[in-house]
Amino acid sequence: MEKAKISAYQLFVLILLFEHGTTLLLPLAVEAKQDAWLSVLLGMVGGFVLFWIYYGLYQYYPDNLPTEYVQKIIGKVLGRLLGFFFLLYFMYIASRDLRDFGEMLVTVAYPDTPLFIVSALLMLVMVYTVRKGIEVLARTGELFFIIVYLLAITGFILIVASGLLNLTNLKPVLEEGILSIMKITFTQTLYFPFGEVVAFAMILPYVNQSKKAKVAGLFAIGLSGINIAIITVLNISVLGVDLVSRSPFPFLSTIQTIRLAEFLERLDVYFMLTSIICGFFKISVYCYVAVIGIADLFNIKEPSRLVYPIGIVILFLSITIASNVSEHIKEGLQIIPFFVHLPLQVVIPLLLLIIAFFKNRKSR
Amino acid sequence: MPSFFKQRKKKTNSEDHKESGRDQPNNRSLEFIHDSISINLDMIKQKTGNSSDIVIRTLNISLHSEIKTAVVYVEGIVDSISINDFLIESMMKNHALQEKLTRENALEVISNNIVALGSIKLVSNWEQLLLSLMAGETLILVDGTNEALSVGTQGGETRSIEEPSTQVAVRGSRSGFTESIRTNTALVRRIIKNPDLWLESMKIGKATQTDVVIMYINGIANEKIVEEVRQRLKRINIDGILESGYIEQLIEDQTMTTFPTLYHTERPDMVAGNLLEGRIAIFVDGTPFVLIAPTIFIQFFQAAEDYYARFDIATALRLLRVIIFFISIIGPSAYIAATTFHQEMLPTQLLIAISAQREAVPFPAFVEAMIMEVTFEILREAGIRMPRAIGAAVSIVGALVIGQAAVQAGIVSPAMVIVVAITAIASFATPSFAIAISARLIRFLFMITAATFGFYGIILAFIMLTVHLCDLRSFGVPYMSPFAPFSPKNAGDTVVRLPWWALKQRPPFISNENNIRQGKDQKPHPPTNRGMVNSHTRKSDQNES
Amino acid sequence: MNRKWMFLFLMLTGLALTSGCWSKKELTDIAFVSALGIDKNEEGKYVGTIQLINPGNVAGGLQGGGGEAPSITTYSSTGDNIVEMSRRASTKISRRLYYSHTNLLVINEELAKEEGIINILDAFDRDPEFRTTATIIIAHDSKAADIVNTLTGVDKIPANKVIKTLKITEQRWGEHMEVSIQEGIKNLISPGKEPVITGFRMTGNTEQGKKLENIQQSAVEENIQADGLAVFKDGKLVDWFQGETARGVTWILDKIKVTDINISWEGEQEAVAYEVLRQKTKVSANMKNGQPKISIHVDAEGDIGEVMVPVDLTDPSVLLNIEKTVEKKIQKEINDAIQRAQKNQTDIFGFGEAVHRSDPKAWKKLKQDWNNVHFPQLKADVTVEAFVRRTGLRNKPYFFRMESNQ
Repeated sequence: MEKAKISAYQLFVLILLFEHGTTLLLPLAVEAKQDAWLSVLLGMVGGFVLFWIYYGLYQYYPDNLPTEYVQKIIGKVLGRLLGFFFLLYFMYIASRDLRDFGEMLVTVAYPDTPLFIVSALLMLVMVYTVRKGIEVLARTGELFFIIVYLLAITGFILIVASGLLNLTNLKPVLEEGILSIMKITFTQTLYFPFGEVVAFAMILPYVNQSKKAKVAGLFAIGLSGINIAIITVLNISVLGVDLVSRSPFPFLSTIQTIRLAEFLERLDVYFMLTSIICGFFKISVYCYVAVIGIADLFNIKEPSRLVYPIGIVILFLSITIASNVSEHIKEGLQIIPFFVHLPLQVVIPLLLLIIAFFKNRKSR
Repeated sequence: MPSFFKQRKKKTNSEDHKESGRDQPNNRSLEFIHDSISINLDMIKQKTGNSSDIVIRTLNISLHSEIKTAVVYVEGIVDSISINDFLIESMMKNHALQEKLTRENALEVISNNIVALGSIKLVSNWEQLLLSLMAGETLILVDGTNEALSVGTQGGETRSIEEPSTQVAVRGSRSGFTESIRTNTALVRRIIKNPDLWLESMKIGKATQTDVVIMYINGIANEKIVEEVRQRLKRINIDGILESGYIEQLIEDQTMTTFPTLYHTERPDMVAGNLLEGRIAIFVDGTPFVLIAPTIFIQFFQAAEDYYARFDIATALRLLRVIIFFISIIGPSAYIAATTFHQEMLPTQLLIAISAQREAVPFPAFVEAMIMEVTFEILREAGIRMPRAIGAAVSIVGALVIGQAAVQAGIVSPAMVIVVAITAIASFATPSFAIAISARLIRFLFMITAATFGFYGIILAFIMLTVHLCDLRSFGVPYMSPFAPFSPKNAGDTVVRLPWWALKQRPPFISNENNIRQGKDQKPHPPTNRGMVNSHTRKSDQNES
Repeated sequence: MNRKWMFLFLMLTGLALTSGCWSKKELTDIAFVSALGIDKNEEGKYVGTIQLINPGNVAGGLQGGGGEAPSITTYSSTGDNIVEMSRRASTKISRRLYYSHTNLLVINEELAKEEGIINILDAFDRDPEFRTTATIIIAHDSKAADIVNTLTGVDKIPANKVIKTLKITEQRWGEHMEVSIQEGIKNLISPGKEPVITGFRMTGNTEQGKKLENIQQSAVEENIQADGLAVFKDGKLVDWFQGETARGVTWILDKIKVTDINISWEGEQEAVAYEVLRQKTKVSANMKNGQPKISIHVDAEGDIGEVMVPVDLTDPSVLLNIEKTVEKKIQKEINDAIQRAQKNQTDIFGFGEAVHRSDPKAWKKLKQDWNNVHFPQLKADVTVEAFVRRTGLRNKPYFFRMESNQ
């Protein structure tokens, strides 16, 4: 474990940026149509529960990384294996997110550039950052938090000012009934983006005020849930349900629709800036978590040495993960949630918490 | 990242610095002074290579027994008037005392009864003797004693106090530091009249023996940081310190950066203000630039005047400076990215205008921008190093070459000239030259990334730059504080400046626990009945009319 | 530490060099497409007419351009689909076509009638370069190529002229409206709403319009003007709405900003001009006995712009009368538009969407044959409230004085 400490506020900022990572980019809960925002908010509530689980585990073992306490809970061999699975998971999701951004950039602005180069550049910046450790990442997060919020507020003002907001697109509310929304929540929004906070189980031990960490985490999930819901509402009310469901990058389309004062048009760059900053933090956090996890699991003294190889692994994984966009998205929507997210984000942590509860009760 | 304080703590022993820097690591012998004056004088001549500026005046000061005495000093760095009036004259003409004088008590009598100058001390070894001679002190050697007197007669020609040339303020003190360290410390002492203003002096540089003074306010400055500064200064082992830049580069936290991690200023009021915030000033003899540690990024956007002007104006100006800094970094690169990658983001009319101008330009936008930027840098460099008289000619040629001829010849487009001009003005408008010059360098990096990847490149470079800035520390204080790590208590005096009555605290990450700087409720409370008073007078006015 | 820095630096420079600026496009290598017209030739291929901007001749200023050469150049190209057409154009044009600043898409009327616009629009929707905010218009009674080819006077770029004309007339007159590609597609696929697109017509000699002389005279012979609203059904043009019927559509769609309504007064036809300054239309739907019912409520505020008969405008009761007449007139415009649309069996007003919003369950049943069965039978309840707020700089018109003089 790196000898670093971050404050609860920094944790808050990191979770917030992390949650916004790919949600700015991709459509969320499109099956819920105009009620997608409701599904997001329900997912947020689920996110609270999940964070509570991760925090519960952290409270039993406040000084250990999950890769360590898993071994304490279910034994050395099984624990190591599970820890290793978690690390693979983190690397895999990091590479998925990297692919998302690569695809976005190649589609939107750099059609002639190979995907590999675009992703490699982003990875390079992340490797540079992760090598500096969690403290620098957290401090950078604090600066970009301010910048992203400024961007968000101006973006919101621009959308409202150009008269694009058509709230009638949000009606009728609950067309398919609450049950279908619940279903979509439990198949999609719970895991992505909220369940992905599982990565922060690896970062919680670095927080110097453990009590505040809980509040910070919950606040961050709440605020990001509200923000994502607002973005979903914006997308739907500007573009309409149908266009959102047909767009791989709905928020981009929303931004592109802005036309103000005859000269503020095509603010693609604005979208690129916001989403790349958030995505940078998301992938960096995953990458960092994978690095410290592997260093811990295999007893490597200098985690920073691992950053280059892991960065390269994530980069190549992101290229080979799917042969085209549709395959990539299909995997993300249909296979990953059930076979990867559900066990690793919900079932296993919950089981671990229950076992930890009984173990610690006995010892007391 | 463990704090370096912990690592260094054991090595330090605070007691042995207080006696200042005479105990520099030294290989020269600590030979004692000989009894015989002629041997001593020969020795001095030999050690100084018979240098022509060393004046040796031999005197006889006793009426009865001949006590050979010599006065030795270096011409030019001493105050020759005081040597003549208060030293040589009183030694030669004080007949009453001369009678008492014997070989044994000579030094004591001279120091107690004859020399009419403030600072005087006994030296017994060659090492000290030569050092004080070179520092502008006058030596009095008496035959038959193995000690000498060293009289403080430092003086000579120095520049008088003038207005600082690099940090000009419309409102505020007009005095700037000079090359003389005593003058400089005195300038600050005059502002902070407090016994807690502590000075620690040392000599750094094996050859130059430059005076370096650490100044801080005891009780406000963080002892750990003071100790750290002391340690880092002590570590320096170099032949010469010619300017505070030497010190800066030898004690900074990270060298692989274009950003200055130590602030330097020419203004005594700025030093005083920083001392009051708990920072530490490092004075170096021979330069008007005083270093201030620890430094944070946002300091470079603050001018002394901000604190004298009203808070709203100061805030607006600071915001402007931050924007200026961004422009000076990404100005040309944004132009390159927009015109070669992201034409869609420009308004159609503007794009057509730029396109029409570029139609005849034979170079790609990047090359065009490079040509202009490099030309401009050449002109600026030429303008700085030239004698003043020729500088004007350079700027005329520059204006003609860039402004007119290049455009007319179709080498660059007018839009590019505008971009370069705005960037140039922006980099001049940054209040600190140190940060403006690093922006200049980074600008070229951004231009390259913009030319290869458009705004994606700029965004990545920007993220990398931010990560780098967040990684920097100055004496353990994160460079980007109080934004990262964010501490709301300190944010009142950063990009914004709150009114003085709202700035209750010193920045706690710099100063120690004693960080309340003003009494409670300092907000001005004008009399509440003023409105009534006014209305009353208005009424009477109306009555009169 | 140093070695790592070197490594990073090498990687960066290596990437920068090898990447070799793939997606780079210098300004001098791209041709800005300002407008694109799409026709169909006899062989059934699409004919695209591409309007390129000559920047030097538009910008004027330093280059001394403008006047000597036309500000645009047009090329035409054929293809089986839009992308092929666009790519094939490169055989004629020395630069890469750049669509990010294309603001206008002109579609041939025949093409819209026979084949519909659905097939064409996908290319524009999909392409990341093309702006979906670009305006779409239908060439009324002329080929799309003619509209794209015509040089225009005040605005040097004809595409801008068309868009600005459309914008201004939407704001000041209200019979036409600007529809972007995105809106068009949105309405095309929505089961409860059909698109309307403004038509543009050529006046004068088509050949003359291509020459520079056309704009070098004060009375421009050849002009492009907005003319009618094209009404679509299932993606095909079925009818043109003109004049007040067209305005009825914009009333319902709440797109009227400022317009002028003439009413008769004491037997005199069109004697009082009422200027609408603000209006708000609310469309709501409710289900009654399993049948949808639409209610439209219009609130209009305005001034008296002109009177041609003696009307005592100082009398509030007269103003009340005027208001009532205006209300009737607006009501009539709206009802005419609804009837005509019902005759065409196409719901251009989005009544279906209103039903969907108010009663999603009922909508599921109605959705299937909304346009053909339910919409034509729809009862629409139109209520209008008009207010006269001011009467301009004069109250009583000068006719009174003339009458009393006699």
